[in-house]
Amino acid sequence: MRKISRLGYEARLGWALVGPALSVIALIAIFPLGWTVWESLHLHELRMPWLGQPFIGLANYVEIAKDPRFWAALAHTAFFTVVSISLELVIGLFLALAMNRVFRGRGFVRAAVLVPWAIPTVVAALLWRFIFESQGGIANALLVDAHILKQPLVWFIQTSTAWVPVILADVWKTTPFVALLLLAGLQNIDLSLYEAAAVDGANAWWQLRHITLPLLKPAILVTLIFRTLDGFRVFDLIYVLTGGGPGTSTEPVALYTFNALLQNLRFGYGSALSVVIFAITFGLALIYVRGLGVRLGGEEA
Amino acid sequence: MTVWRPLLSLLGAAVIVGCARTNKAHETVLTFSGSALGAEGTLVAKQLKRFMQLHPDIRVELQRTPDDASQRHQLYVQWLNARVGNPDILQLDAIWTPEFAAAGWVLPLTRFSPASSEFFPATIAANTWAGQLYALPWFADVGLLYRRTDFVPKEPRSLGELVTDARQAMARAAGPRFGIVWQGARYEGLITGFVEYLGAFGGKILDDSGRVVVNRPEAVRALQFMRDELYSWHIAPLDVLTWHEEEARYAFQNGTAVFMRNWPYAVGAMSDKTQSRVAGKFAVSPMPASGEPNGHSTAALGGSQLAINAYSESPDAAYRLIEYLTAPDQMLERAQAVGQYPTRPALYRDSRLRNAIAIPPDDARRAIESATPRPVTPIYTELSEILQIELHRALVRQAEPQDALNSAAERINALIERTGMRKLMSAPHNAPVPAATSTPSRTE
Repeated sequence: MRKISRLGYEARLGWALVGPALSVIALIAIFPLGWTVWESLHLHELRMPWLGQPFIGLANYVEIAKDPRFWAALAHTAFFTVVSISLELVIGLFLALAMNRVFRGRGFVRAAVLVPWAIPTVVAALLWRFIFESQGGIANALLVDAHILKQPLVWFIQTSTAWVPVILADVWKTTPFVALLLLAGLQNIDLSLYEAAAVDGANAWWQLRHITLPLLKPAILVTLIFRTLDGFRVFDLIYVLTGGGPGTSTEPVALYTFNALLQNLRFGYGSALSVVIFAITFGLALIYVRGLGVRLGGEEA
Repeated sequence: MTVWRPLLSLLGAAVIVGCARTNKAHETVLTFSGSALGAEGTLVAKQLKRFMQLHPDIRVELQRTPDDASQRHQLYVQWLNARVGNPDILQLDAIWTPEFAAAGWVLPLTRFSPASSEFFPATIAANTWAGQLYALPWFADVGLLYRRTDFVPKEPRSLGELVTDARQAMARAAGPRFGIVWQGARYEGLITGFVEYLGAFGGKILDDSGRVVVNRPEAVRALQFMRDELYSWHIAPLDVLTWHEEEARYAFQNGTAVFMRNWPYAVGAMSDKTQSRVAGKFAVSPMPASGEPNGHSTAALGGSQLAINAYSESPDAAYRLIEYLTAPDQMLERAQAVGQYPTRPALYRDSRLRNAIAIPPDDARRAIESATPRPVTPIYTELSEILQIELHRALVRQAEPQDALNSAAERINALIERTGMRKLMSAPHNAPVPAATSTPSRTE
């Protein structure tokens, strides 16, 4: 008897102690989210007060479903995310494997690799824009000198070429971060496994496939979650580099939402777009955690 | 207690000072907002000070707002949604007035009987919504055709001549690399350039009754012409599809282009021998017409307007300030200090203007007289965005001109439906919507 009431007391104390934290979360996360959902059910155009602010149910969501620009933006976002993350994972893994070896100056190399990651995205984007911008730009000069291009290209007026600086800039900037996460994973692998494999005559490729990659799975998963969510919210890089152009053929969903919400001041429709992006990224996170069959931080990991 | 006493007396003093500040001789306090940087800021401060000397009962405070137009727009919209009475006087871009008027954010000026006939008709048309004038034009900006006089001594009288002149100059031994440069990036500047070609071919975006006519044959020919400059005659470099005003100016200023479409601001920097290779070797004229039956020489109209905040507590004083700032003397002083063009045609006969603006006043006047406002509608910004995307798609060859303009027309019509514009335009309390080119006559 005494034990139970003591537990009840502890539970109440526990709730009281986490109460402030919970209310802060409610205030800064749940309340704005709720408000956005509320806005998304209304017609609210800041520029057109004559329309009033009526409740329109799911009409904004219906408009999204019928909006070709939204679906195109979603496709651009998915394309950007898949291509850039694939490249980052492969290159990042190579970098991590290299940095995991014992050599002189390892600390320096590890720090140096992180430099691109430390540069603010807008600055990095401006840098890449400068490289690709004009017909006399660095990229054109190098490629023409190397006889890869016959004539300088105007990179930003064709969809296929406009993606090149965007993907390159993201890979350049984010691969170090991926490499660092994977390096942390590599360092958790027990070296005696490799020694045992080597004794049994396994070569480096076999070791990579059957020891390194399986044991690196949790680290890869964490990287994928981080990068997919980042990729889906890509904004500043594309805003600076292509502005979503030519036309709207490199426009990601975040840029489209920014445009609807802050440029056209369509609060209702823009909020509905935000809710859709939230739902998609949330869904993706769930799929990763469930689908890959790895429990993060659980006992079975 | 001893600690509180000095604090309390301080508080008391503050209250007294505060009261004194607001009650002083029951004066009216106005806030004026607008871009106030550098020479322009000095000038505005000077003119406001003179106004206060003339009107001792009015005190004007300068509220600095961002110089960037879209940032200022966003700020204004937020304030006005919150029904804030400050600033009393708003500086509006040429394309905002109908939006602010339809939203009820600025006051109609009819009751002050402004002398609207003294201003360029196009600048008045741009500020008229539902038959009423909502803002007075402060200074005008106008699209100009710059040309290299050492290659093309006489201004081209048609677009065809422009192409021939450009190609001939490019073919010469020391001829510039580019025939013509303009603003072709996907932004508002693309619309201003398009409006000029459109007018040259006799086309419009919206007709006089507000119907969407941007996919008519004239418009398709205008867009096709811009595309031909890029891909058929190769007189415009593909680079212009990523260019804004400054990139075009650099190209022209470095001597790499025969013609350039740009605003008057470029004259200043390009006349400076230390940074410009074309100083003394260029002239301006209005963009020529196409030579087709209904086509006419057209310049896009920009510039700033002054309007009264609908929530202002002292609209009468606010109007007096607007009247003062748009009076001939202040306009002339503005032209002399910062080179901005007056909106009153009479001033172009004033000899003092000749030294103030870098091009012959007659050329400037001709350009402004051929100016056409962009569509005068409260939904302009979204309309423009649709058009920017479709024009850019056609110019980068993602779509054919006819298809792009059909798609633009379809989406603009959907926008008109969605925003209830049709109902708003035909509402009984509203006078008929004035034509974009007609001059308002209901201001007296």
